[in-house]
Amino acid sequence: MLHIKPILSSLLRSKSGPLLLLIQIILSVAIVANASFIIHERLALMSRDSGIAEEEILSFNVYNFDPSMDMAQQNKQDQQILRALPGVISASSTNMLPLSGGGWMDRLVDGPDVETAKSTPGFAFYLGNEQMVDTLGVKIVEGRNFFAEEIRSSPAESGILALVSKPLAQAFWGEESPVGKIMYQGTDQQVEIIGVIEQLQGAWVDHRNFEYSVIANVDWGGQGANSSYMVRAGAAALPGLKDSIIAALHRENPNRVIDNFKTIAEHRASSYRDHELMVTILSMMVVLLLLITSLGLAGMVMFNIERRTKQIGTRRALGARKRDIMSYFLVENYLICLAGGILGALLAVLLGQQLMKFYSLPKLELIYPLLTLAGLLLVTTMAVFFPARKAADISPALATRSV
Amino acid sequence: MFLYYVDLAWRSIRKTPFLSLLMVLAISIGIGITITTLNVYKMMSFNPAGERSTQIHSVQLWSQGPDSWDEFDVNRTYQDVINLRSANLAQRQAAAFRTGMALQSDDESIAPVLQSIRVTDSDFFGIFSVPFLYGSAWEASVDTEPAYQVVIGEKLNRTFFKGENSVGRTVYLNRKPYQVVGVIKEWNPQPKYYDPTNGAFNDAEEIFVPFSLTPIEEFEVWGNTNGWKFEPMLTYNDRLISEKAWIQYWVELQGKEQIDAYSDYLAGYVEQQQALGRFTDPKQPRDKQRLVDIAAWLAQNNVVAEDNKVLVGLSVLFLSVCLVNILGLLLTKFLKRAPEVGVRRAIGASRAQIFAQYMVEVGSIGLLGGVLGLLWAVGALQILSARFDIADGLTRLDLSMWLITPMIAISTAVIAGLYPAWVVCRTKPSVYLKSQ
Repeated sequence: MLHIKPILSSLLRSKSGPLLLLIQIILSVAIVANASFIIHERLALMSRDSGIAEEEILSFNVYNFDPSMDMAQQNKQDQQILRALPGVISASSTNMLPLSGGGWMDRLVDGPDVETAKSTPGFAFYLGNEQMVDTLGVKIVEGRNFFAEEIRSSPAESGILALVSKPLAQAFWGEESPVGKIMYQGTDQQVEIIGVIEQLQGAWVDHRNFEYSVIANVDWGGQGANSSYMVRAGAAALPGLKDSIIAALHRENPNRVIDNFKTIAEHRASSYRDHELMVTILSMMVVLLLLITSLGLAGMVMFNIERRTKQIGTRRALGARKRDIMSYFLVENYLICLAGGILGALLAVLLGQQLMKFYSLPKLELIYPLLTLAGLLLVTTMAVFFPARKAADISPALATRSV
Repeated sequence: MFLYYVDLAWRSIRKTPFLSLLMVLAISIGIGITITTLNVYKMMSFNPAGERSTQIHSVQLWSQGPDSWDEFDVNRTYQDVINLRSANLAQRQAAAFRTGMALQSDDESIAPVLQSIRVTDSDFFGIFSVPFLYGSAWEASVDTEPAYQVVIGEKLNRTFFKGENSVGRTVYLNRKPYQVVGVIKEWNPQPKYYDPTNGAFNDAEEIFVPFSLTPIEEFEVWGNTNGWKFEPMLTYNDRLISEKAWIQYWVELQGKEQIDAYSDYLAGYVEQQQALGRFTDPKQPRDKQRLVDIAAWLAQNNVVAEDNKVLVGLSVLFLSVCLVNILGLLLTKFLKRAPEVGVRRAIGASRAQIFAQYMVEVGSIGLLGGVLGLLWAVGALQILSARFDIADGLTRLDLSMWLITPMIAISTAVIAGLYPAWVVCRTKPSVYLKSQ
């Protein structure tokens, strides 16, 4: 039997000690539950699959500062040089890089009349040539890719075609296929949708329209002095690729700065860095909090045992077994933990509501306080177990000796 | 007496090494976490404008049409900037945006570098108190009569001119010659309050060129360009005549009178533009303009990350857990020493003396915890900045922390110690003397 009644009445008599422990557990549960919830939510964000060959795509920037250069021509030539490099699978100029934190966002409307046209949600607007699909490593699930002869040099020209990501297609057209639909930019610029990509994310990892993307058939690299490229290469070729790209492009024309070499995987890491930081700090907090709570608990139990040496000796002399002494301390701990856990869970929910109100955090799920409580029971059991075993070893003679 | 109490405290701490260590650890960890998050928060929320914060204003106009943006944009359109600049009503005023070009000098042996550049007006340096090493900003006349002049930073001056006074020399931006008129001292306000839109903790630009060159040189825009309606942008001129917002506009105004006068002017300007068919949103002209001072500007740009506020809140809660923890430990410790207190009381120590003695003991524990906590915080900040590539400005320990940390630590410990010390100094001597 657990003998809850005598334990409870002794707890109620010695007000302050257990009360403090109770407060501590309430606060710990509230903090740990919310922290672990945020951790879990951030980890879920960070583990989202981008659907592209992140590790194999090297992106970089070319800044041409030779005023006499024909940018459009140079862009075409540079891409041919890139594709001829050993190990390179494909290459495309681009106006933005996936998961990089910077890029274009746009909308299309479904008719030329401003009054009646319905607008798509905002999407990441990629401009690239016929090699972009292969370079990104995305899959076309419906329709087709651009042909080389369809590539334009500006999004304002006629004959603009577009590939849309599946999540965007579903959000705007539902079950209906978007392939063949004519969309508009403003009132007179037509965009024909020719294909659907299974998955392609935009540049902003925290944006609600992160999965909405469109690729248009525009070789953007010739637009100005500043061009970005993505090159896809096999894992073996990637390490030396940076140097060979710089050498090859400088050989063609030295009047440019070639830099910002980064794989998409690196862009991804830096875009998610803030979340990673949050996860790290919060995990540290959770671990330390449990550590402090359990150490404090162990310290208090030890001192209680010293104070109660006589009492324990007397109980042993009167026939209590070692097991009874141990279970006394453990049950005492469980009582406090449970009470603290329940109140703490309530506080956690309240705190979660405040966080939700002031910051863009989702609602706290109840499983987190419960898990926290389970963790707390486990940790405190260990914290109490060893001092309690020491208490159980007190010999009955000790009690009688000093009387 | 104080020293005697310190001595007693030290003895008492040594008598219960495990318990004391626990307490010091608990405080230090609580302090370590709190100071780490507080430091980052403090660095983020720092206002580099100081007392000039209320004098520097970002001019903001509701130039968007109906049913588009539902808040003021941080940037202005080129046409608005040109109109405001030519009105020239503020004490100082400057348009600004970011571009980038390749920088070279006559010394061919130095490889060209791609540099981030600020395109702005001569007043920019005065508004943001940019310190000069050599020379000065370009003449105000250059703001209306474009000239190829440039102000460069100390570091570039070292690279390209060996640190000599380079005023009058030539640098090449995209192979075009610009004459150096000034060299500024190391200047890198954190947060980058004059333009936090592309990373509030990025480094300041080191090259400044006249805004008046914009339509001639067609500087690329390396900042945000926001549009609320579809406008084709095929040429640079399309950009200049568009409703797209991409330029920050700053004015310096002293006192309420000047601010009110400028607001009146802006309202009038909006009305005049409405008559020309712009600013079509049905809002009162007065509500379509506002002046935002630096503090509000930093808030508008969300310079302090939300996550950081959550962290500061959680770490304060964390510290309070530590406080309760120590309270419990102190209570058990002091109660155990009650017999000793009984004896001291019996031979004449007053309650106040006992209380003071225990407060000194608690305070020493707090101080030890604080010092250790500060070390934790320094370590944590170092590890975080190395691991997560955070801007140095955020992970440098703020000077004030050397004062704040022991203060928080000691007061935490003292608050935790109040109740136990009070309990113990109420001890009746007779109870303990009897049992001896």
